[in-house]
Amino acid sequence: MAEGYIVEMRHITKRFPGIIANDDISLGIKKGEIFALLGENGAGKSTLMSMLFGMYEPNEGEIWVRGKRERIVSPSYATKLNIGMVHQHFKLVSNYTIAENIILGIEPKRRLAGLLPMVDLKSANEKTAALSERYGLEVDPTRKIEDVNVSTQQRVEILKMLYREAEILIFDEPTAVLTPQEIDFLLKIIRGLRDDGKTVILITHKLEEIKRVADRCAILNRGRLIDVLDVPTTSTQTMANLMVGRQVDFSVGKPPAHFGREVLRVDHLTVKNRTGFPVVKDTSFSIRSGEIFAIAGVSGNGQVEIADAVAGLTPAASGTMILNGKDITHAAVRERTDLGISYIPEDRQSVGLVLDFDLADNLALKTYYRSPFCEKGILNPAAFDAYGEKLIGEYDIRSGQGIRTGVRSMSGGNQQKAIVAREIELESPLMIFVQPTRGLDIGAIENIHRQILAERDKGRAILLISLELDEIMSLADTIGVIYSGELLKIAPAERLTTNEVGQFMMGVKQA
Amino acid sequence: MRRTNRAKRAFLAVMGDEKRQRITIPVFAILLSLVAGAVVYLILGKNPITAYVSFLQGSGLLPKSSYAAKKSMITDLMSMLNAWTPMLFASLSVAVAMRSGLFNIGVSGQMLVAGLITTVTVGYADLPALVARPLVVLIGMAVGAAVSALIGFLKYKWNINEVVSAIMINYIVRYAASFVIKYFLADPVSRQSRAIRDSARLSLMDAPVGGLKMDIPLGIILAVAAVILVWFLFQKMRLGFEFRTIGANPKAARYAGINVGRNLVVTMALSGALAGLAGVTYFMGYYGSIQPDTLISTGFDAIAVSILGNSDPVGILFSSFLITVIGKGSTYMSSNVGVRQEIGSLITGLILLFAACGAFFRYMLARSRQRQAESERLTVQADDGEEAGA
Repeated sequence: MAEGYIVEMRHITKRFPGIIANDDISLGIKKGEIFALLGENGAGKSTLMSMLFGMYEPNEGEIWVRGKRERIVSPSYATKLNIGMVHQHFKLVSNYTIAENIILGIEPKRRLAGLLPMVDLKSANEKTAALSERYGLEVDPTRKIEDVNVSTQQRVEILKMLYREAEILIFDEPTAVLTPQEIDFLLKIIRGLRDDGKTVILITHKLEEIKRVADRCAILNRGRLIDVLDVPTTSTQTMANLMVGRQVDFSVGKPPAHFGREVLRVDHLTVKNRTGFPVVKDTSFSIRSGEIFAIAGVSGNGQVEIADAVAGLTPAASGTMILNGKDITHAAVRERTDLGISYIPEDRQSVGLVLDFDLADNLALKTYYRSPFCEKGILNPAAFDAYGEKLIGEYDIRSGQGIRTGVRSMSGGNQQKAIVAREIELESPLMIFVQPTRGLDIGAIENIHRQILAERDKGRAILLISLELDEIMSLADTIGVIYSGELLKIAPAERLTTNEVGQFMMGVKQA
Repeated sequence: MRRTNRAKRAFLAVMGDEKRQRITIPVFAILLSLVAGAVVYLILGKNPITAYVSFLQGSGLLPKSSYAAKKSMITDLMSMLNAWTPMLFASLSVAVAMRSGLFNIGVSGQMLVAGLITTVTVGYADLPALVARPLVVLIGMAVGAAVSALIGFLKYKWNINEVVSAIMINYIVRYAASFVIKYFLADPVSRQSRAIRDSARLSLMDAPVGGLKMDIPLGIILAVAAVILVWFLFQKMRLGFEFRTIGANPKAARYAGINVGRNLVVTMALSGALAGLAGVTYFMGYYGSIQPDTLISTGFDAIAVSILGNSDPVGILFSSFLITVIGKGSTYMSSNVGVRQEIGSLITGLILLFAACGAFFRYMLARSRQRQAESERLTVQADDGEEAGA
């Protein structure tokens, strides 16, 4: 390979039980560039970079850093090679200050009275502040992690790398949790890092970001390297086609909506968290049949609590909820299911499914107590099996051993398909979708979007909660923007631009 | 190198996949502890095989060389069954809670309350056996259920951890029972509670049958019925499905509309009813009296027995049987082999210890199987490569 590569990966292959995550991948990354890794979920981007960061070792192939072959056996060895990584899930101690998090593991020490070793917080704060200033990170080192927002936490992770003198910085899907404005800020920081001579590796599946910052881009598909492209001279459409391996249609193709009668009416709803703090404040909205009402907002602003309150999983502190003219404010979860609420929860593995149960049991999780699944308290396994087979066929749920497959062993996309199938089959007038496509690849996302629209067109009322603004803009008929527990704006989707929604998400009240 | 590989491969093949490991791992744990026990016997200079045979002889599963008058293998077997009954109930009690994600460490306390209340109410009453015995069973179940349901209620209402409240209730029960026994029920000679009437006792003691005198545990019929009922509950009933769902994922259970709080109390009540049955078959059957100042170990051993049996009623049938055989057989083993009886408890302890390592074995097996699969694939690829080269 040519000279001038700071990192070279030669013929890297990594296998996990049942899959080849990386198949003979060779690529070189130049010093001082922004190098993007593009691919769908499961394409092997994160795996490849995890090997550079020492979390796995490749089964075959070599990694060269600064012209020297290295066996990167651990993240701490990677740190020694000045490689740093910001993971998708931040690794921070929430009740420590920012500076304390940054120095964790390599604390600067001073000696009290020349004897007792103490952590030198003063110099830690100073050094953190200096680094923050130099790269424009706008971080106050003395604040606690639990008191700052996600975007700041991410910048703390960046500071952690810089504090450890990282020269090669890996970002794993850094924009997934950010608002459009925060994304702008992050991309600016990333550019600043490059201009300072750092090498940045950006793992993402968002084409637009790559187009905005990256110099070069490697495209992965199903563990194979498809191509390495020069970003400025390549069109977004070309990259998208290479990434998916086929032509992609960006528009959902949404037919016009036909609204019917009001299905759900929420009036002055307030929800409090465990400590008694109101996380949803005096919120009112209504959803008609045939309408997709989407709530946009930055994660943690009360949108999930609204869904939980409507579904009955969280009690309402005050306010009322009316479903089809019936007051359900104090109804139990089961009663609400029977009255007609389907709920696709945010966390499919810890809430939506029982991972230790098989597919048949999970598909009947909302109906097991009804005939024909259960007669006089005795279960009818044949009914479970028949129903499971039917849904697997109708919804194309793929699994190793059919209805007997343990749900734990299924892929995320098929787990979500199973939940969506189960909830659609309830034929409820109201369907709640929370983050329905989180972590799924493009094919699965398209599929779920189609199903949401199909349900709408059958006359169901749909409450969609998503952190992906694109998803909301392409599906919603009506958009409510939530900030700090309040719906700041409710308007028909066609009257709002992405930028306006982003402004409201940041709590700016007039736009 | 090659040979160890082959042995390892054979071992992995025998242990089987995850489904089969539900059986092979407990069996492996038992074998491992028997081997460890054999080492202990060898260190003591005794023949381990003689020792293990004596356990079986002492429990009436193999004939002894000689018997006292009116005794035979059958009497030993019946006596073992008499001890098995409360252990079976207690293990089922633990399993019902465990399958629902709860830990009932209060079985011993619940047994004691059930035993004490039935002793006071029925044990000394002048009632015909046909009335007294069903009363003992019903009151025992009700008392055990009530105490255990209280633990469930505390958790439901105030989120008090069931382990903490059960341990505390164990203490309260133990001292309260000691007080009642010492002040009102004490036998001046034995210093235990006075022996209950035969009409209230759930085991027929020294009953003459065919020229022999033996103990006949009436409760064993109930215990076997309980095994079948618990199996039916978890496999076939809606309530059991809800219990399992809560045990596997309480969040998903709530999401599915299951009333988790109510089920929690119901589970604990059911578990307590079984503990109550363990209590009456122990104190009103096997033992016939109550010692003050002690909490019998059955309720604690039952936790490990239940784990050894995968919290599965059929598995528990076997695991509780094994533990009882070792316990009951240890007396004869002691006199026959000439070591202390406590060696029996040592082996029981080893079995339970290795049983508790089940999760670790599962993890090691999964890792080895994965490695094996990986190396096999590599070998295949290498072979392909050679062929291609040729």
